Amino acid sequence: MKKVILYLFLITFFKVASQNCNAYKWEGNLKKYEACKKAKESEYYYQFNHKYHEILDEAIAIDPTYDDAYWAKSIAYLKSGDFLSWKKIIDEAVDLNPKKHLGYRGWCRYQFFRDYKGAIKDIEEFQKIIKGDVGYCQNGDYHLLIAKAICYKAIGEKEKAIQIIETYLEKNDNESDLFNFYHLGVLYFEKGNYKKALKYFQKQEVENNLAENQYYISLCYKALKDFDAYKKKIEDSEKMYKEGYFMRDPYSYHYDKVYLSQIKKELKKSKQI
Amino acid sequence: MKKILLMILLLTFYFCKKEEKVNKYPNSIGDITFNAEKDDSNFVLCNKNNVYQYFNDGRGLGYEGEKLALITAVKEKYKPVKTTQSGLIRIRFIVNCKGETGMFRIIQMDDNYEAFSFDKKIINRLLKITKELSGWVIKQRKDVALDYYQYLIFKIKEGEIVEILP
Repeated sequence: MKKVILYLFLITFFKVASQNCNAYKWEGNLKKYEACKKAKESEYYYQFNHKYHEILDEAIAIDPTYDDAYWAKSIAYLKSGDFLSWKKIIDEAVDLNPKKHLGYRGWCRYQFFRDYKGAIKDIEEFQKIIKGDVGYCQNGDYHLLIAKAICYKAIGEKEKAIQIIETYLEKNDNESDLFNFYHLGVLYFEKGNYKKALKYFQKQEVENNLAENQYYISLCYKALKDFDAYKKKIEDSEKMYKEGYFMRDPYSYHYDKVYLSQIKKELKKSKQI
Repeated sequence: MKKILLMILLLTFYFCKKEEKVNKYPNSIGDITFNAEKDDSNFVLCNKNNVYQYFNDGRGLGYEGEKLALITAVKEKYKPVKTTQSGLIRIRFIVNCKGETGMFRIIQMDDNYEAFSFDKKIINRLLKITKELSGWVIKQRKDVALDYYQYLIFKIKEGEIVEILP
C-alpha cells in the first residue's frame, strides 16, 4: 500500500518534471527541446480535442523522434476503444523509446483489450530491457509483474500466476499494493485450497478490505463448513458493496471482479442453510 | 490582369490547404456524425455539440444490474458462428439523454491489431443484440441528463464471444 502511495506521488512529480523541456536543451538536443515546448501547448486541451492533436502533430513535425507526442496522441484512441488507430500510434512511441513506453503498452493491451498474450510479451520484453524494477501500471493499481501474473492466469497458466505473485511478495516484503493478496487468494480458491485462500483473503482484509474479498471469504467458510462465519461474511460483503467498497475502474473492469447480483444470489443461498 | 489572376489562384490554394488542415481531425477524436443512410432519424440528442465519453463521470460503464447483466443479456442472445475467425469487434454508439442508443459504428481487427472483416453473420448478430440492449444508465452532470459515447468490444475466439469490454 505504501508503495502505491509513493507511486502516485511519483506520477504527479514526473508529470510536472516532464514538462521541463529545458532538460533537452541542457542535453544539447535542440530539436527535441523545440518539439517539447510545442507539445506543452496541448496541455490546455482535452485529450480528445482536435486542437490537442494538431499541436502534437506540429511537435512531431519539429522532431519526428519525439516519442512522448505519439504517446500523448494515442490516449484518445485507447480510451475510445479504437484498437486499430491506437496500436499504430503507440507502436511509434514504443519503437522510439521502448524503455519508456513498452511496459505501458503491455498494460494497455491488458486493461483495454484483454490481449493477455500481447501484454505478457510486452511486459517480459520490458523486463529484459529494464533489468531492474519494471514499476507499476499506468493507473497504479498493480505492479506490472502482478498484471503479468493475471494475464498468465487468464490464459490458463494458474500455477505460473501463483509463482509470479508469491515471488513478488517474497522479494517485496509482502507488499500488498491494492489487490495482490486478493488475486492470490482467488487463485488458491479456484484450486480448492480454501485454507490457503482464506489466509490471503484475511491479509487483504487488513490492507484493503473490499466487498469482493468478503464474498470470497464467505465462500471459503462455506467450503470449510463454518456456516455461521459464511453467513456473516456474505452479509458483510453485501453491506460493503452498497457502501461503495468494491473494485472499480472507470475505463474497464478488474479481473476477478464480483458483482452485486452474485453477492445477493449467495446471500439468498446462505439464508436457506 | 495576369497578376490578379495569379493572386486569386494563390489565395484559393492557401485557403484550400488551410481547410484541409482544419479537417484532419473531427472536433473530438471518435466523433460520430449523423448519416441519413445508416442512422435512425428518430434518434435525437439533447446536445449534439457536447457528447461526453462514458468514463467522464469516473463511474465507467453504466448498465442496470451492472456489467454482469449486460454480459448475460448478450450471451443469452448470441448464437455462435462456426468459424476459425478470432479478434476484436468494437461497436461504438451514443447513449442519449433519454437512455436510448443510436448511431452505431463498427471496427474490427484480427489477433494482430490488423483491420479485418469478420463473417457478416457475426457482425449482424452482435449489432442487433447491441441495438436491443436497453439497460443503459442515463448519465448526468449537475442534474442535467447528458448524451455520451459508449462502446462495446467483443473478444471473439473462433466465432464465440469470450469476453466483453469495457
